[in-house]
Amino acid sequence: MKLSRRDLVRAASAAALLPLFPKAGHAADWVALEAQAKGQTVYFNAWAGSEPINAYIGWVAEQVKARYGVTLEHVKIADAAEVVRRVRDEVKAGKAGGSADLVWINGENFHAMKAEKLLFGPFANGLPNFKYVDTEGKPTTLVDFAEATDGLESPWGMAQLTFFGDGAKISAPPKSMDELVAFAKANPGRVTYPAPPDFHGTTFVKQALYESITDQSFLPLPADSVEFHRAAAPLFDLLDSLHPHLWRAGQQFPQSQAQLKQMLADGELLMALTFNPNEPANLVASGGLPQSTVAWQHRAGTIGNTHFVAIPINSKATAGAQVVANFLLSPEAQGRKADLKIWGDPTVLATARLSADEAKFFATGVVPGSVREPAPALPEPHASWVPLLETAWLESYGT
Amino acid sequence: MKKFLNSFAGFLPLGVLWLSPLLAGLLAVLYGALDGEAWLTLFEHPQLWPALAISIGTGTLSLIISALLAFWIVAGLYGGKLWADCSSLMGGFLSLPHLAFAIGLGFLITPSGFIARVIGSIAGWAVPPQWVTTQDPYGLSLVAVLVLKEVPFLIWLISSLLARPDISQTLKGHFRVSQSLGHGGASVWLRVFIPQILPRLKWPLLIVWFYGASVVDVALAIGPTQPPPLSVIIWSDLNNADSAFNARGTAGALFLTAALVGLALVWLVLKRIFLPLIWKFFIRGPSRRRTPTITAGLLLLFFCAVYAMVFVVLCVMSIGTLWPYPNLFPTEVRWTAWQQFVMSPAPLLNSLSLAFASTLAALGLAVFWLETVPEKLDTALLVFAIMAIALPSLLIADGQYLAFLRLGLNGTWPGVFLAHLTPVFAYVFIVLKGPYRAFDPRYRAVSLGLNADNYRFWSVVKLGMMKPALAAAAAVGIGVSIAQYVPTQLIASGRLTTLPIEAVTLASGGSRPLMAVFALMLAVVPALAFLVAARVGRKPL
Repeated sequence: MKLSRRDLVRAASAAALLPLFPKAGHAADWVALEAQAKGQTVYFNAWAGSEPINAYIGWVAEQVKARYGVTLEHVKIADAAEVVRRVRDEVKAGKAGGSADLVWINGENFHAMKAEKLLFGPFANGLPNFKYVDTEGKPTTLVDFAEATDGLESPWGMAQLTFFGDGAKISAPPKSMDELVAFAKANPGRVTYPAPPDFHGTTFVKQALYESITDQSFLPLPADSVEFHRAAAPLFDLLDSLHPHLWRAGQQFPQSQAQLKQMLADGELLMALTFNPNEPANLVASGGLPQSTVAWQHRAGTIGNTHFVAIPINSKATAGAQVVANFLLSPEAQGRKADLKIWGDPTVLATARLSADEAKFFATGVVPGSVREPAPALPEPHASWVPLLETAWLESYGT
Repeated sequence: MKKFLNSFAGFLPLGVLWLSPLLAGLLAVLYGALDGEAWLTLFEHPQLWPALAISIGTGTLSLIISALLAFWIVAGLYGGKLWADCSSLMGGFLSLPHLAFAIGLGFLITPSGFIARVIGSIAGWAVPPQWVTTQDPYGLSLVAVLVLKEVPFLIWLISSLLARPDISQTLKGHFRVSQSLGHGGASVWLRVFIPQILPRLKWPLLIVWFYGASVVDVALAIGPTQPPPLSVIIWSDLNNADSAFNARGTAGALFLTAALVGLALVWLVLKRIFLPLIWKFFIRGPSRRRTPTITAGLLLLFFCAVYAMVFVVLCVMSIGTLWPYPNLFPTEVRWTAWQQFVMSPAPLLNSLSLAFASTLAALGLAVFWLETVPEKLDTALLVFAIMAIALPSLLIADGQYLAFLRLGLNGTWPGVFLAHLTPVFAYVFIVLKGPYRAFDPRYRAVSLGLNADNYRFWSVVKLGMMKPALAAAAAVGIGVSIAQYVPTQLIASGRLTTLPIEAVTLASGGSRPLMAVFALMLAVVPALAFLVAARVGRKPL
């Protein structure tokens, strides 16, 4: 795990604050909360572009209904930003009962909601199952894009930028940006990435920033635009050298990672990228990609982060939402989510610390398409870099 | 006084259910755009001008090509053996929503798509070609979708104009005159018919133009990306987490609308300069050129082939779980996507309930208006109806979102219903107005003379005779409601999901079979509605 000192300080200070939050696992309080949750309907606003994810959320809904009497409605959204906007507008309009009770969120959207006080809580550290979370080994469970979570969101899954393609067509996968440029040169028109501000596209550009910036200690700090243009100059040199060899000579870009995947499956591209290291293996398992699929990360590490669930401040069912968030952290739910055949979203729990009884939910072993040589997860740059990167990218390549 | 009260009563339900949501939306968007910062950031957007150029370029190009093709086909086939088939086929094509068509066409022409596979299997391509088809930088694939969808719309309109006895009589007379002066069929169309038909099509042509320049869902599915059309930038701004972006989106929607209205006004001025020049051409001596029967027939064949291929490809896609390049047919066929669709019927049920409710309400409002309000006020209502259709749905829906926020209507079924009613009533009124006002009042005298009371006359005689028109209006209303993407997404706030919402979400990432299922369902519902309407229309009294 490669983290800057500043990040470690943030994570440590966040961890030190833990005792200040409503005491975790106070059995009596929690029982009362569960009683209150019974009969509530929780509107879970979650991105719904993927069948395995929708099916998993469907399973969660069945479980919380049977176990806690909570009705979970999956509100299928294309982008969490829609929810932020909606909650903000509802609060502004003074609407008491909001339309969202639980949101799948991280990064900019979390920052916006936290800064505008649109979130209920702190609640995360009070969830009984929070004790399983690997806050030390996975510091991004407490620091979301260089911003402390302060218990306003509960970790759900892990993510790390990962590349994949057909091993039968790629003998030596490019494991750095320089190697990627060479690879694209050798295979003109067969490599690309989604255009920012698509989330995967922005992550790819951040990765390129990481590998081209001279002083990485800038990255966790707020960026202002003057400083940014100086620091990011090598990034645009790198992209300038990469783009002419991309799909459609870098003049057009796919809109989404899903499109990238489809183009890889159709043979239009040689490689695609994902933020879920298990996705390639998952696609192999579901028959979407051949058995010879390989997945890799850049040698020096790739951008990684955690995704969370949060409760909007105007939720009508905060008790129910907490019960669901707690269930999502249970070894059973986390193990099922990590199962490649189900979804394959890496767990936020410290699996090594689980008892045998709890660990049985987690599958083990290497399967086709899984990352063979995991690289360190690089923390996200400070959120203020994102709009600057996106605007600069659009100015350079978007017209 | 009584007359006034009557008119007022006729206006009241319409005012509450339709006019106030429309006006509230327009006022809210104007109010929301009173944000200097938003305009500053809009004009600083690096893609603003190129994106505007793409929007106006694709809209204008699709308008010109659609109008040319529509008139070409009509001129070639009108009065011939194929004419009846042509107009009923075009009516059928019309019912297929743009989005469903774009998804199907996309898979036909994409570099790993069906056409590439057919050519590749003959030419032996191991890897897909590097064609620049879907998402081409100039938006030509977007133009192709728009043209292929708008030509049936225009032909359907022209054929319903030509079917009117008064018009067809006049044209027949003019045809004979022109022929005896030595003009061939093509010359008659160019010099006599089109100049008479075109003015009657000015509003539909405006609608086609503005629609093409501001469409969101089709542009998301098949439009260019760097830069995208301005509508796509506005759309992502409106859905952004940051309220500053939302404000920029509102400003952008107003800016795009203003640009389009401005261009339309410029055209009004230019027309005055061009028309005299064109007139010189029109009064030139006789030309023997005949109507383009063969090319028009081929064009009709081409349309049939494209629509059939889109339909077949969507069907195969919906069951092809695994369909890698270069296979012409899926290697693995499963009904999984259909099962998933049946297991979670909410999108279909929501779409159906919204379509039926908004169409019924629209029919009720329109009939009520036509029965209680004097005909001379129709024009005023028509202006608002055309506004509701022609103004970009981005603008109206964003305004309604802002207005409904204060009323707590966002995320509720009634809110989405009102948002659907806005365009649905407009179309239903326009379709119904002509036949309803043309009703011969003498039938009433006859009925009353035959001892029927007023209600019996109205419910049995008048509605009976109006049945084809009512059925046609209902089919149009259902088709319009089913296809609503932008207003549903904004007003439903994720609480209600409908067929187009799912289709766009899936098109942005997700399983191809499921996307095809949603595209097909998007097509099936309006098609059924049109079939039923056609049957009702044909039945004798």
